[in-house]
Amino acid sequence: MAEAPPPLLAARGLGVRFGDFRALSEVTLEVAAGALHAIIGPNGAGKTTLFNVLTGRLRPSEGIVTLAGRDVTRLPAHRRVHLGMARSFQVTNIFADLTVAENLRLAIQAVDGWEPWVFWRGRSALPAAAGRVEALLEEAGLASRAAWRAGDLSHGGQRALEIGMALAADPRIVFLDEPLAGMGIDDVHRTKELIHNLVPARTVVLIEHNMRVVLDIADRITVLAQGRPIAEGPPAAIRANAAVRDAYLGSGM
Amino acid sequence: MSAFREGGHFPDGTTLGVGAALVALPFLLPSVTLASELVVFAVATLSCTFLLGLVGLLSFGQGLFFGLGAYVSGVLLREHGLGTLPAVAAAAGFSFLAAGLLAFLAVRRQGVYFVMLTLAFAQMGYFAMLALKDVTGGENGLTGVPRPPLLAGAGTLSGPEAVYAFLAGLAFAAYLLVQRIGCSPFGSVLRAIRQNEARAEALGYDTRRFKIAAFALAGLLAGLAGAMHTVFLGFVPPNAIELEMSERLIIMAIIGGAGAPAGAFVGAGFYVLMADWLSTLWPRWLMLIGVLLIAIVLFLREGVWGGAMLLLARLRRARRRG
Amino acid sequence: MSGQVLVFQVLNGLGIGMIYFLLSVGLTMIFGLMRFVNFAHGALYLVAAYVAYVVSLLTGSMLWALLVGPLASALLAVAAERLLLRRTYSMPHEAQILVTFAVALIVQEVVILLFDPLAKNVPVPDFLSGIVFLGPFVYPAYRLAVVAVSAAVALLLWLALERTRFGAILRAGSESTEMVSLLGINVHRVFLGAFALGGALAGLAGALAAPLRGVEPFMGLEALGIAFVVVVVGGIGSFTGALLGGLLIGVVQSVMSSFWPEGARLMIYGAMALVLLARPAGLMGRA
Repeated sequence: MAEAPPPLLAARGLGVRFGDFRALSEVTLEVAAGALHAIIGPNGAGKTTLFNVLTGRLRPSEGIVTLAGRDVTRLPAHRRVHLGMARSFQVTNIFADLTVAENLRLAIQAVDGWEPWVFWRGRSALPAAAGRVEALLEEAGLASRAAWRAGDLSHGGQRALEIGMALAADPRIVFLDEPLAGMGIDDVHRTKELIHNLVPARTVVLIEHNMRVVLDIADRITVLAQGRPIAEGPPAAIRANAAVRDAYLGSGM
Repeated sequence: MSAFREGGHFPDGTTLGVGAALVALPFLLPSVTLASELVVFAVATLSCTFLLGLVGLLSFGQGLFFGLGAYVSGVLLREHGLGTLPAVAAAAGFSFLAAGLLAFLAVRRQGVYFVMLTLAFAQMGYFAMLALKDVTGGENGLTGVPRPPLLAGAGTLSGPEAVYAFLAGLAFAAYLLVQRIGCSPFGSVLRAIRQNEARAEALGYDTRRFKIAAFALAGLLAGLAGAMHTVFLGFVPPNAIELEMSERLIIMAIIGGAGAPAGAFVGAGFYVLMADWLSTLWPRWLMLIGVLLIAIVLFLREGVWGGAMLLLARLRRARRRG
Repeated sequence: MSGQVLVFQVLNGLGIGMIYFLLSVGLTMIFGLMRFVNFAHGALYLVAAYVAYVVSLLTGSMLWALLVGPLASALLAVAAERLLLRRTYSMPHEAQILVTFAVALIVQEVVILLFDPLAKNVPVPDFLSGIVFLGPFVYPAYRLAVVAVSAAVALLLWLALERTRFGAILRAGSESTEMVSLLGINVHRVFLGAFALGGALAGLAGALAAPLRGVEPFMGLEALGIAFVVVVVGGIGSFTGALLGGLLIGVVQSVMSSFWPEGARLMIYGAMALVLLARPAGLMGRA
């Protein structure tokens, strides 16, 4: 039998301490390339903290993070983007006063070589760049609202923009932090399809509370409780896991 | 057009307007020297306006770079016999480097801490100037600064009109630079950082480096203005590097409006003209400036220029409807 | 520098340091409590100093000056807060800085308007105009009195902070404003009280300092600068930080002034920059 390919993303022994409070302890996980890996757990389990460590927003007190075999533990967030990492935020974190199109253009521009430092001419008028923005607007369903002020979008629209911005840089691994939070049923369905269609071309790491969606589309699930992983495996195994049921006290499963 | 807030086009109507104003100024104002003073402070204020309006950084230290530019150009002109243009360029370059260096330290802190840091640097600059009184002249300032031709043998600055032409040319160049940056990819990044630095960083921008670059550029502008000031006055007063100078620049920036580079020109113009006109009538006119500042912060955030632009937009909309 | 001069300078430094403490403790508590940056704090110092000047001219009594000065400052602080500053709480820090800065400017101009831009002398009260023998050293009585009065006030303040309900709320609020409001306490009223108290203390500093350095309209700006340094070095929101920071800055400034005056000021602001860069929490502040 062929050996399994090395994971795209791996974390070993991650720990995060805020003073006396241990937000994460001994977190180890592996995400295979092209997989949709979900991280679930009750509130306060440390899911977003884990995201922050994996994406470089926070430095762990111990442990290492590797991306395609390269140690990125101490690499700041903005550098990781250039290695193919992108994330969306749990609380909508867009540029509210700029237009929807500009939000996306900024995301694309960030990974466009030295373009961000050009100060002697206007923003790129290249058709390729404009085409990319158009495509993203279509994908996010925001094409008709491109000139809107981003802060004026509906909640669902803003969440869609969040995801759009995460995908704009054509990342190979995307971290989505509760992308479906507060969405109406139609938006949930559309977004679920969108996320599912991202793999296997890309790798997705997902935090979500919507259990039905998670069990439906995830390839692998890691369950965190109180900063520790308590279970990991395919959806069927997690569903049957007693420890997980206890941690959730039967909510949503 | 709120160039810093939204972008806009380069060049546009405002570019023409500023250019025309610069040409007309010596004829509109009671004296050419007043026009020169206005233009010098417009560039100095531009350094504050740029930082605050585009990047969202409030710096109480731009007076430091103004002073550096003033003293460096003064020393170069007096002790080393440089032509006016090279002296001004060198002073601006020196300020650029100094600002970049200090920015490397200052951007490690945000919000109030950043403001306090700029304040500390400004104070240090002033007391360093006093400590180095052999070079700077201390409390007496640097006197006897000559006004040689622009380059070796070419471009003599004979008379206030020629001086004005030179200074106005530099001011226009500074305006063009800032307006260009506002409508460029680099400017769009700075705008994003001001809006939401965390998001900009998450997108892949090295926000610290961008802030350092912006601060260095602002230092360049302030240093240029300081050198222009020295050429204008023929000496360097110690208040060029005093904390009061930093405060004055902030006042001018806020009054004019930090939303667009044109605001710097409006704010500087307002202040310089008020000072010239009112100071003979009522020496305590700064009190009115204080009241105006409060009114603007509370009721008219975008300053005089921003208010004018809002009015224009409203009129345009009314005309379209009617 | 001879031993006698050094001792003299250190004592001077302690006296000035205590004044710096009184000046800064209000600023640090207000910033810790409401994250409110008050660029008008120096104006409170200024106003009391001039009130002391006027009172000493009219009555010749320093005691009255020490009472009326701080009161005037406290009233000014409360008036400014009620009429103007409370509108800025929801605004970003930059707005607060600009508004309080404008208030300071206005106060300064009013002072110049009422008096004139020149420095004025404030006589030391007669009964304190002599010298005191401290062992082999002689020392001006007034300076000693300044240290004594400041120390007494510092002690009273400390007791108030530790033993009274208001003090407890103030200390808790400096740590976490949300906690205090969650406990059902009217945070705004507490803040107003702290603002008035801080103003009064700055005023006391101004009144005490008046005979030492005279009064002039720009002393408010100078005081603000020093207050910021003390607050940063001592740590935001900390009473002991303001005390230690004030004494440290006072002694360093005093000792250095005797052999390199410009360097003294340079070092002080350098220290502020250093602390902001290396350890923004200061000596005693929370990290």
